[in-house]
Parts: sequence; structure tokens; C-alpha cells
Amino acid sequence: MHKPVPAESDRPTVGGEPEAPFSSNAVRLSPGEWMVALLLTGLAIHLIPAAWRRAEPLEAGADYRVPYRLSNDYWLAARYFGEACARDKALVLGDSVVWGHYVGTAGTLSHYLNEAWGEDRFANLGIDGIHPVALAGLVEHYGGAISGRDVILHGNFLWMSSKRHDLQVTKEFTFNHPSLVPQFWPRIPCYRESLSGRLGIVVGRAVPFLGWTKHVEIAYFDNADLARWTIAHPYANPGARITFALPSPDEPPSPEPVAKPWTERGIRRFSPDWVALETSLQWRSLRRTIEILRRRGNRVFVVIGPFNEHMLTDASLAVYRQRKQEAETWLRDRGVPCTIPAVLPSEVYADASHPLSEGYRLLAQRLADDEAFRAFTGMRGQ
Amino acid sequence: MLFHTWTFALFFLVFYPVYLAIKGTRLRTPWLLLASYVFYGWWNPLYLLLIVWSTSVDYFAVIGMSRSRRRAPWLVASLVNNLGLLGFFKYGEFVAGNVNSLLIWLGLPYEVPMPDVLLPVGISFYVFQSMSYTIDFYRGNVDREPSFVRYATFVSLFPQLVAGPIERAKNLLPQLQREPRIAMADVADGLSLFVVGLFKKVALADYLALYVDPIYGSPGEHQAPALALATFAFAWQIYFDFSGYTDMARGVGRIMGIRLMLNFNNPYLATGLGDFWRRWHISLSSWFRDYVYIPLGGSRRGTRNTYRNICLTMLVSGLWHGAAWTFVVWGALHALGYSATRTLELSSFYRNRVPALAKQAGTFLFVTLTWVFFRAESLSDAWLILTRIAEFGWADPACPLLLLALIAAVWIYQYVHESRAGWILRPAPVRIGLVAAMLLYVSLFAASSDQAFIYFQF
Repeated sequence: MHKPVPAESDRPTVGGEPEAPFSSNAVRLSPGEWMVALLLTGLAIHLIPAAWRRAEPLEAGADYRVPYRLSNDYWLAARYFGEACARDKALVLGDSVVWGHYVGTAGTLSHYLNEAWGEDRFANLGIDGIHPVALAGLVEHYGGAISGRDVILHGNFLWMSSKRHDLQVTKEFTFNHPSLVPQFWPRIPCYRESLSGRLGIVVGRAVPFLGWTKHVEIAYFDNADLARWTIAHPYANPGARITFALPSPDEPPSPEPVAKPWTERGIRRFSPDWVALETSLQWRSLRRTIEILRRRGNRVFVVIGPFNEHMLTDASLAVYRQRKQEAETWLRDRGVPCTIPAVLPSEVYADASHPLSEGYRLLAQRLADDEAFRAFTGMRGQ
Repeated sequence: MLFHTWTFALFFLVFYPVYLAIKGTRLRTPWLLLASYVFYGWWNPLYLLLIVWSTSVDYFAVIGMSRSRRRAPWLVASLVNNLGLLGFFKYGEFVAGNVNSLLIWLGLPYEVPMPDVLLPVGISFYVFQSMSYTIDFYRGNVDREPSFVRYATFVSLFPQLVAGPIERAKNLLPQLQREPRIAMADVADGLSLFVVGLFKKVALADYLALYVDPIYGSPGEHQAPALALATFAFAWQIYFDFSGYTDMARGVGRIMGIRLMLNFNNPYLATGLGDFWRRWHISLSSWFRDYVYIPLGGSRRGTRNTYRNICLTMLVSGLWHGAAWTFVVWGALHALGYSATRTLELSSFYRNRVPALAKQAGTFLFVTLTWVFFRAESLSDAWLILTRIAEFGWADPACPLLLLALIAAVWIYQYVHESRAGWILRPAPVRIGLVAAMLLYVSLFAASSDQAFIYFQF
């Protein structure tokens, strides 16, 4: 019974002792063959994403934004950043306020800025759901193309409105864009990814091919890897899913937001527990984004808010104004041009920080009237 | 720490350069031991207490044997300690549960307390490995290892610590005693083994698990086609999972200049159950052969005793896999199957007249059906699955065609490899193409998971 049968033994002895059979298959490469295999794999890894760019058109017109469904597709974001930079645009960078959570592409801030400037000048580089900590990661790891440009960076104080928003709570919770946040330092107490997961994320940032595989999953396979997708669609042909047609930037978020003033949506006034700027991770990250952008030779202009102050209780409003003042002082002290537009009318806000289309129009107008902004963008008087 | 995770990649990147730098010095073994303990302690540092205890007892038992005229008590101490550890940590709950069921059945108002202990990863593997050393020393088959550190390294060597292959002191200790010679060819060989194992685990086993797990998790919600296909898929899942692990273990060992034994040899091409057990988990089969079957008398004491010994060995083997009646039944079915077909397998009619494909199909069918007991959560689930399959009730199995195509491709590869047409797979462009394709497939399409290996639970 139970006598092992060797499959093959290419080297019968090692140091005079019987050699263990190598394996039960023929996959055995010499060092030279390994070099060839690695070269071939490396070539494929390098060429496939490049070829894909040619096959998959990215029609980044005047009001283009990264489609909502592709919000976690950083490979596409990097590609779009490159295209926007190549067209010599001023880049409007920020979270869902810049992206336009409640509006279509023709209702965003960049759209109305282009209208106010009378030319296709501003590109919407907002990402839905991103927060300053993740934005710093996005710019650092996927925004290499953004150099030597004019960047309008939006800062949203919503991310400092509580310890939870500021990612400072110790209890683990799911937040947006975890793979963009610092994996090791500074430590984010509510982020509990395994060491292996963190290392995988760090490697994924450095290897565009891995970002491209995520792009394929997100764009064509319902954000699932091929294995899981085939389990959900057992008889479908995965090849047929590759249409090389990206979702429309006008595709609304899911679930579709109700584009009505906050007062009509039953939202009440609230009293956020504002985090102090000196301890805020989100504020530190916004500062880091500015530093990264400036280090890359960009000119940076910061727009803070305007937050929906109508939603705040009186006590909270006082603290908010203090934070605003501190932020402005910090920026001005470091020579960062900035503006903090006055609050918009209550009815043009959909929630605490997102304007409706009319709000964006008003905000763009206010920026167009803002001396510092005009000086930054080189806009002449109208 | 799993081989297919980035943690292991980082661990190895730290370990290997130092290992290469000091492999010719006295620091090699302590470094190997430290790395092995870090690797094992990564799961739970408390596990280290157990492995150090087991190692120490066996080390000193052998010293005791070497210094004493009466060797048997030392061997008994080692066996009692190892089997006691295994019994307590692995079978304590099973035994207590069954005793309690018996007490209830007898109407006795007493309850044995359930031991609330964690099963240490890989305990069945390193306990068997360590135990084989004391038995072999008792039999005079190996020399005493003078160095405690080296012996501890033998027991805990990280590539094969948690899921084998279960190495023998005769093979592994001499390799640890001398400076490893690591040529470029060894690194290339190690990488070849590792890539195949990685592909088996990440691209195949974890993919099959996505189909198998939900169906076996709630068999009552499925009909014959899904249950049959899930059973078929599980047969391949466990093969890819376990053989993938040992391929990676052997690959890592090879890169370190350590040759670990072949553990799987295309078992689903076996032409009989005896042949299957010569191809499946070879290190365990040979362990049971040498330390259970042969001491029981093997085939030396007549036909009846031979069959008794086969059945006992298979039953113990079943129980080794897990503390549940499903594993006992699994072992019993193999015992019955092997006993029933042993004479047939040896007959010239079977060997020469029956087409190989038919023999392979029959063996595979039997082995696959027994996997039902191995995989099912309980005996009642296993019975439900088998009866549902036999009833032929129809419902869409929703089995991905890609999954079936991958299994077919692997089977064809193995069949060609063992056939006369095996030369087709030997040319360099074919092998290089296969490796490049596997690397790309793993990075492109593999299920992104850190799923543990099935055999870790044993």
C-alpha cells in the first residue's frame, strides 16, 4: 500500500542522495527561460494598458467629469488628468461639490466658470465621494500628470464637521476611497485593513497594470473580478462585456439624489462638533495636497466652501466662522491665494455643502467677481 | 501568513537576503528558526508555546532514549504527549460532544464540559513530523540530532510547517545540517513550482470555492445538477488548494536550497483507489503506511488481517482530517472501496483489458462521491446531498462555463502530460508561454481574496 510513485526526476541525485521528484507537471523553466517568461510578462503588463487607451476612447469634452460609476477607477482618473492637462486647462480639483453630486455636467461649477469666462477653460477634476485625505492620495499617486498647471482646489469643511468625518474615531467604519488614504502613516484609527491588504494597495499604486485591471472590473464587470462576475452571470460571455464604451459623465449617482433645496427635503438644522484645525487629519491632508501640487510646479488657488451656513445652529455657526478664519489665515500666511465666498442663498443648497445648479451658477459668478481669483486666472474685467 | 499574500512577499524579501548572506555560517539555523517562528506566530503568538513544548518533549525524549537502556518509556512519553496534544486541541470538543449525546441518550444527568480551545493551525502536520523523528530514532532509522535549535527548525521549518509535506527527519535534517547549495537553477525551479502553486490556489481553487461554498452552505436549497456540479467542483477545489499549497511550499524550499518531497502526483489520473492514495497527499499516505499500517502487520499476516489493517489505517486517516463523523465516514468509504477493489486492481484483467480512461473515470467518480462527506457540514447534509443527486430533480445549476472550461483544460493538460503525447508540453516555447499565461491570468482575473487553505484546519 501507499508507495509513492515518482513522476519524473530530471536530476537523479543530489549530493549522493536520491532527489525528490520535481513535480507532476512539465512547467519547469531554466534561469534563461525564466528571463524570457518575465520579459514577455513584463511586456504584456506594459503594453496592454497602453493598447487599451487606444482602443477605449475617452471623450473628455468641455464639461467632462469622471463618471459616477467609475469614482473608484483611479487608472481612468489618472488618464483623464493627463488629457485635461494636455489641453492646457485650469483644473478644478475637489470632492463631490466640484463633481456636482446633485447636478448634470451642464450644472457644475466648472461649467459655469467656463460660461463666465466665455471659453472652455476649466476642467472638472472632482471625484464623487472623495475627501481630503483620499484626495491627497489621489494627487500623490495618480496625479503625476498635474504639473505646471493652474489648479483650483476646493476645500469642504464638511470633512471637519465631526471626528467621524475627520476619520478620527477609533471604531472601524466603512469610508470612501480607503485605498487612497495613507496605509501606514499617519495612522487612521478607524481604518483596519490587514497588513497584506495595505501592502497590496501600496503595490497597486506603483503598478499601472493593476490599476488597469481594476478599471476593467469597474467599467465592464460591475466592479467584480472575473471570477465573481461569472458566478453572478454563469452563462454570459465575459468577452461581450468589453464594449470599450465608458459610462456617460451625465449618468446620475446611485441612488439618484433628489435635486431639491434642503428645506424641501426635510433636512433639519444641525450642530456639528467641529474638529479643531490643528488636530484635523482632513485639514492636514488638504495642506498636503497643496504642498504636493506646488512641489510639482502647479499654481494653486484654494476655494473654501461655501458651506451651507443656514443649516447650522447659532453656536455652531460661530465655531465654523472661527475655523474659516483660521484656515484663511493659514493659507494667506503661506502665500496660498484663496477665497472663501460668502454663503449662498438657502434655497440653492441641496444639503450641508452641495449647491444645486443655480448655486453653482451663483458661486461661479462670485468667483468671477473675486479679485484674487481673477488675478489668479488672469481674467480680464467683464 | 499565507504564501499568496503580500505579507508573505514582504516577509520573504526580508528573510531571504539575510539567509543568503549567512547560509555558510552558524547563524543560518537560528535565522531559519526565528523566521519560522515569526511565520507561525503571525497567526497567533500563543501557538508558539505549543510548538515549542512539542519540540522540547520530543527532543529530550530522544536524548532520554539515547542515554537509557530502556527506550520504550521515552517513546511512549513522546507518543502520549503528541497524541495528547492532538487529542485535546483537535478532538476534545468532538469527544465531549459525543459523550454528552450518549449521556443524554442514557438519561444520565451529567454533562462533560466542552473544552473551549482554539485549534492551532497546522498542529496535525508538525505533531506528525515531530513524532516520526522519535519513532524513527527508536527504530534506529535516524541519528540523534544534537542541536536543539536545528531540531526545532526541522519541526517548524516555515515552508512546510502548516500544511506539509510532512517531512521525515531522514530527508530534512541532513539538509539542515549542511550548508545549502543554491544555484540559479534552484531559484528557477523554485519559481516554477511557486507559480504553478499560486495559479492553482488563486486562479482555480478560490474560483471554485465561490461556486461550491454557497451550495454546500445550504444544500437544501439546491437540486441535483447544482449539488452534483458543486461536488465535482469541490473535488478539483481541494486538489488545487492543497496541491497548490504544497507546490508553493516546495518552491519556497527549493529557493532556499531545501528539497521537499512531492506530495501530489496528478491523483485524478489514478486508475484505482490504491493508485489514488499513491498520488494523493503522498507524505501523509506514506506516514500512515510506515507508522500505522506496517506496525499493525501490513499485508504480512494473511488476507483477513491485511484488510483489517487497511480499514483501520483508512479510518485513522479519515479522523486525522477532522474531528467529525463526516471524516470518519469518508475514511470508512475509502476503506471499503479500497478493500473491495484491491484484488481487482491487482488482476491482469483490470490492468491489461480495462481501458485506462474507464479506470480513471471510475476512480474519479468514487473519490468525488466520497468528497461529499468530506465537505458537507454534517452527516445529514451529506445524506441530503446524495439523495438529492440520486433523485435527479432539475433546477438550473448556474455553474459558470468558464469554471468548467478551466477544469477541463487542467485535466487535459495532466492527461497529455502522463500520456505518450507528453512531449508536446516539453518544448521551451510551450513552457514559457504557460508560465507567462499563468502570471498574467493571476494578475488579471484571479478572485481577489486572502482565502486560507482548506488543509490549514486539519
